[in-house]
Amino acid sequence: MHADEIVELVLDTLRTTNRSRAADQQMEVSRDAPIFGPPSPLDSLGLVALLIDLEEQIQARGYALTFSDAAAMSEQRSPFRNVPSLVAYIAKHLNGVDRCPAAS
Amino acid sequence: MPSRILITGASRGIGRSLVCHYLDRGDLVIGCARTPSGITHERFHEYALDVNDPQAVRDVFRQVCATVGGLDAIVNNAGIANMNAIALTPLASARAVMETNFLGTFVVSQAAIRVLRASPSPRIVNVTSIAVPLRLQGEAVYAASKSAVETFTRIAARELAPFRITCNAVGPSPIRTALTAGVPERTMQALVDDQPIPRWAEASDVANVIDFFLSPQSSLVTGQVVYLGGWS
Repeated sequence: MHADEIVELVLDTLRTTNRSRAADQQMEVSRDAPIFGPPSPLDSLGLVALLIDLEEQIQARGYALTFSDAAAMSEQRSPFRNVPSLVAYIAKHLNGVDRCPAAS
Repeated sequence: MPSRILITGASRGIGRSLVCHYLDRGDLVIGCARTPSGITHERFHEYALDVNDPQAVRDVFRQVCATVGGLDAIVNNAGIANMNAIALTPLASARAVMETNFLGTFVVSQAAIRVLRASPSPRIVNVTSIAVPLRLQGEAVYAASKSAVETFTRIAARELAPFRITCNAVGPSPIRTALTAGVPERTMQALVDDQPIPRWAEASDVANVIDFFLSPQSSLVTGQVVYLGGWS
């Protein structure tokens, strides 16, 4: 996937997540938005749900990717802490993966 | 309504009996094991799988999704035992027990979350052992691995609740399987004799508890560990 396509995918998933969140718990949707850790309102379980939703969107495009990282829950070091770091993680880990049989 | 149930360690012992039980009940069963079960049935799908191999586990889940469209429950039954004194247990043996019993449960459960959450009644059932509450001598590593499974079960119950996935565990009392074949009969019989209900367990006793966990009516039952025979 092209970098711009990954960014749009992440932003779409943030918009989808916001639909099930209260008005005062909305996440910022932008190319530089924080995802996990202040000032983002997303808690750890919310992060898991968002990433699994994102996995499904990636799978629907014919790729297989499982989000897992030793620093996933670190507000300072998590690769999922903001949109740029998440996009970079996806771009790095999509390289060379097999197309998902379910979507091909 | 029939369920789609994935069972690990499905080729023999309790796992094989569970496969037959759920096929008899009318469910669709996916059996995973390192060796073939020899079971053939139109509603039985079998995969050769080492639960310690995360990529292989993910591949199986993808194939299952493509073949049967999803899953409603997984039963983490795959397990190995190595009865030995702490002083005499090689590190490699201890590591193998922990990897299969605990990490295998972790790897399969992690992969299952993605698939189960689409089910109307998503369930994870883990298999533990009375070796945990009894603190049996000679089973330190095995019991420790099952302690890990129990703690994992209780925390998974909380973490997976937002996805409506329940996570429970069943601990069989002495039961005649290949896993316990290496334990002297008199040792096992002494355990049975000391039980509040002093009889050997059958695979159907294990299935009965799992049936309860899998029931759609058990949506409020999670984080529970149920031992057979009256142990607690």
